[in-house]
Amino acid sequence: MFLSKIFFILLALAAAIAATFAVIAPRPFERRMGTLEGQRLDRAQYAAEQMFKVDAHKWIDHVGKLGRDAIIAESLDAASRGSGEYTVIHRTIQDRFRTLIPDLASGGIDSIVALDTKGRVIARVGENEKEYGDYIGGAEIIADALRGYLSDDVWGVNGRLQRLAAAPVLSKNRDRMVGAVYVSAETGPALVERLKRNLDVDVALLLRGKVIASSRGPGELDALPDLLTRHAKEIETAKRTQPILMTVGKQDVIVVAAPFPGQAGEQQAFYALVGEHPANNGITALFANATSDDLKWGVFPWLKLAAGMFGAIFVGLALQRMEHDSPIGRLRRELQKLASGDVHKIQDSSYGGKVGGLARDINAAVERFTHAPTQRSDIAGKDLNAILGPSGGSTFDLPAADSAFSGGGPAPAFAPPPSSGFAPPPPPSSFAAPPLPTFAPPPVPTFSAPQPFNAAALGFGGNSSGSDGGAAMAAEETRQDPLPLPGTTRASAWGQPAPSAPEYEPPANSDGDATRVVPYDEEEEEEAHFRHIFDDFIAKKRDCGESTVGLTRDKFLQKLRDNKASLVAKHNCRTVRFSVYVKDGKAALKATPIRE
Amino acid sequence: MKTLRNPLSRVSRSLVFGAVACLSLAGNAHAAGTTVRGTVKMPDASRSTRLYHGYWRLENGNVPVQTAGGAKAETVVVLENVKGAHPPSARTITIELGGLDARPRLVITGPGSVIELKNTGKVRHELSTPDKPEVMHLETLAPGQTRRQRFDAIGDYVIRDSEYPHIMICVLVVGTTYFSAVDDKGSFSIANVPDSTATLKVWARGKWVAEQQLETGSLGKEELTIKVVSQREREKAEQEAKAAE
Repeated sequence: MFLSKIFFILLALAAAIAATFAVIAPRPFERRMGTLEGQRLDRAQYAAEQMFKVDAHKWIDHVGKLGRDAIIAESLDAASRGSGEYTVIHRTIQDRFRTLIPDLASGGIDSIVALDTKGRVIARVGENEKEYGDYIGGAEIIADALRGYLSDDVWGVNGRLQRLAAAPVLSKNRDRMVGAVYVSAETGPALVERLKRNLDVDVALLLRGKVIASSRGPGELDALPDLLTRHAKEIETAKRTQPILMTVGKQDVIVVAAPFPGQAGEQQAFYALVGEHPANNGITALFANATSDDLKWGVFPWLKLAAGMFGAIFVGLALQRMEHDSPIGRLRRELQKLASGDVHKIQDSSYGGKVGGLARDINAAVERFTHAPTQRSDIAGKDLNAILGPSGGSTFDLPAADSAFSGGGPAPAFAPPPSSGFAPPPPPSSFAAPPLPTFAPPPVPTFSAPQPFNAAALGFGGNSSGSDGGAAMAAEETRQDPLPLPGTTRASAWGQPAPSAPEYEPPANSDGDATRVVPYDEEEEEEAHFRHIFDDFIAKKRDCGESTVGLTRDKFLQKLRDNKASLVAKHNCRTVRFSVYVKDGKAALKATPIRE
Repeated sequence: MKTLRNPLSRVSRSLVFGAVACLSLAGNAHAAGTTVRGTVKMPDASRSTRLYHGYWRLENGNVPVQTAGGAKAETVVVLENVKGAHPPSARTITIELGGLDARPRLVITGPGSVIELKNTGKVRHELSTPDKPEVMHLETLAPGQTRRQRFDAIGDYVIRDSEYPHIMICVLVVGTTYFSAVDDKGSFSIANVPDSTATLKVWARGKWVAEQQLETGSLGKEELTIKVVSQREREKAEQEAKAAE
């Protein structure tokens, strides 16, 4: 049982460890996936930043080429100098712009604006192209262009983000500045789609606390402005955020945001890259996300799993058989043998653990029932086997001093054994028929039994059959109870057979007929008892299938006499009564010392 | 090669210089004393004429660029806590907003002065003092409209246009007449400063960027050099100081 217990404990531990792994393992994986997604967003943000830079440079190059156009330069020179018709100059520049860039939309341009050296708008193409003449030279990018710089900027005006690039327009001789040109492109859904396509992440654009464009569903990222406001300090110093975890509905997303450059940066203009946070990878999610491919033979270690499972079952069953089933089976077979009398006890030393304890308990119980002590005697009966050799039987106790056999009163010689507290030896039936086969009454007719010793009351005269003596005694008991010794009547009640009486003459009737008294010869009675024991012993041996070869009456009787003499001498008893019984399938003898 | 100057920046700078010079002369005409002069060295990042930059800023390669004007012209040095100093008188100053610009962008005046913001352009402006919203809350100034604001308390006020962040109007309400604008080279001069201990402060790009104690009587003809460190350099120095401790 020990190994089985250990095995099951180990099995439970292994199952617990496996369950722990199943619960815990996804978490580091989830963290790792989150980290990797954050790193991917970092790289995407860097890529977006580089893309914006390249875009800005491309716009600057573009607008620089426009500034080098001769017609535009001459027109702006005239406008700056105040020469020429203002309206004509306006139309000339517009036409030139349309010629150079026939399709603004395909180039992603919202508008192209030409300004003179005072910052006055001379011509527009695209948005508000009919308006001109206004001054916008205060804008930093325009002022920079009029100082001679080519630069870019991002504006957040009227709830829209605009990327701008401006360049100075030099005179035909390239010796002075005659104006400036700038292009603007709205930075909205088109940019979002482009970023999403190139970076494979969701993109959102924010301006002044509002999401102005997003590749996700409307309203999904409404919490983003507040989130970025909380990271304003980080954005100000690092010009970007670390990956931030954000909940969108029931989904977690990772956000990396960075400010736009230029004056839009002052207007809380950000672009945010949104990545999917790894899904909850608990056990439920693991099973929910598993596909049939995960369970294919080449992927899942079915053979190892089956081998492990059957191995565990085999080991468990083997241990159970070794420690439980097999010992129990052996014990049962031994118990059957014990019940059938083939063995005296169980070989408890061959069992271990609790089965061994059980075997020892059974042995102890058998021992207790077999060798139960009497209540009133501590003198053990002598095993005739020790006297007669291999054919001896077990022992039983000497009757108590006050029993019918003890001779406390004028008890008959063949009084039954005391009943109170007496545990008859197994099987009691052998004792139930004490042999008094042919008792010859003594020839002395003048024997007068004492008054209490009433032979008829003891059943001596009632019936010649020993087996019926008990019944006869019971019948007499109902009639009268001449004997004060309870042991006598109780013996009848116990069913103990009364010794067979010799031929019995009924007592004289009241009209004076003489009572016939049978003389008692103790030696003869003993001889008859020995012969009866011999006959009974032979019969029992035959019943048990034992051989009786070599067992002669004379030798047997002589042996009984010798044993009687030694027992009488040893126990200082009056005589010894023998009985035959079957023990372990063999006929056996018991000796009962009889005191006075 | 001839260098062309941006007329707008020239006008703006001359307005600022004019306002500051008038106030200086008015305040110091009656006094006689030391002339505090020196140079303010701005960090490289603050030498630009722009407040906000995009990704690129390239020279054209043919014509020299102009490096004056713009945000550079809005640097001023103020001497505070000068013995016997008194605030400039209160007055009304009109600032025009047009052409996506404000003129002038820097005003130094006394307590009780009124700033009149007049939109002469074609676009609306949303003006406020974000750092001190209780002074000027956000309000749209439509083309042609004027907004007046009185400044009673001594202090610095930065009026921002949330729609055009580059429009930044600085109103310095001071308690002294000893101040001076800084020229393109960073030089300044404050005349007739009485012998006294004083605190020299430098205002640039919408904030106080430097401050140091002076003993004006011991300066003589010495020229001060005030080196302004950038915020990043200042943070770095603070971190190094903490690490050294």
